[in-house]
Amino acid sequence: MIQPQTHLNVADNSGARELMCIRIIGASNRRYAHIGDVIVAVIKDAVPNMPLERSEVVRAVIVRTCKELKRDNGMIIRYDDNAAVVIDQEGNPKGTRVFGAIARELRQFNFTKIVSLAPEVL
Amino acid sequence: MATSVAASFQIRFSSSSLTSHELCHLTPNPNQWRSSHLAKSYKFVTSIHRPLKSSVVAPMALGAKQNTSQDTDDMYDDLFKKYGKVVYKSNDKKSPVADVDDDAECLAFAVAMAKIASDVKGGDIKLLFVKPLVYWTKFFLITTAFSRPQIDAIRNRINDLAEKQYGIFATGDTKPNSWTLLDFGDIVVHIFLPEQRELYNLEEFYANATLIDLPFKNENNFQR
Repeated sequence: MIQPQTHLNVADNSGARELMCIRIIGASNRRYAHIGDVIVAVIKDAVPNMPLERSEVVRAVIVRTCKELKRDNGMIIRYDDNAAVVIDQEGNPKGTRVFGAIARELRQFNFTKIVSLAPEVL
Repeated sequence: MATSVAASFQIRFSSSSLTSHELCHLTPNPNQWRSSHLAKSYKFVTSIHRPLKSSVVAPMALGAKQNTSQDTDDMYDDLFKKYGKVVYKSNDKKSPVADVDDDAECLAFAVAMAKIASDVKGGDIKLLFVKPLVYWTKFFLITTAFSRPQIDAIRNRINDLAEKQYGIFATGDTKPNSWTLLDFGDIVVHIFLPEQRELYNLEEFYANATLIDLPFKNENNFQR
């Protein structure tokens, strides 16, 4: 359940460390974003000497949420943190590797690129 | 192996809600897939047999110790045989024969697509068998195109072949992109521009995958 003002960790090596959601893309007045949704976010904390800097506005895909993800077969997946992967306008990830486990639902949302860079797919 | 890993996931998920919490602690290391996946499946054994957990090994040690030696694997094998029981098994598991047939069919399709990429002068075509590493697909076809029109040409021809001969429709990118991805389920096609190919370096990430020899001449030295 990501909403504007939510802080998220960054799960890639793009150079950003922490994001803050400022808008959810998809509908005009959408309240919450879940795994696989694209958000507009501002970088609150960044790694020095990397292309991305603090206070830059970027797009990101949510890959992990503390809120449970339910599957039709009864599985429930819940992560310890809220995390996102920074993408560009075309949908390519800005980083070259994704960290941590991600859910296979991302593939259904056409983020197979992120899935193929991830070390662990649940 | 991949199917058994998938099955072990099923088991773990169905076993208790406790395991779902543990999932976020999985260590990211695709190269040691065997040891880590085995460790995971055995974690399940320890979680259903609580008394065993305290006596054998601390569960966190499994994740932390990445250089799980062969003896530990054997020890867990014995323990699983002795105490483990399958509480849930998915029925969609195929027989080994059907599995091999399926793989062969996918391979034929992948090679046909590689041939098309070669016809459209895609460079450095690589076909990787990634089934032992990831469960969500079987083959990766990676190729370089040198311009967006060329990417579009490869994409269109591959889509035509898939639709006409195999009746499969791709998901993924609908426009030529610097990294265009076509997802056919068991085969994932990556078409890169040279810069992106170098940047993302997928071959290195899947270095443990088997490289399949292609039955035609692969041109590596195209000039941009």
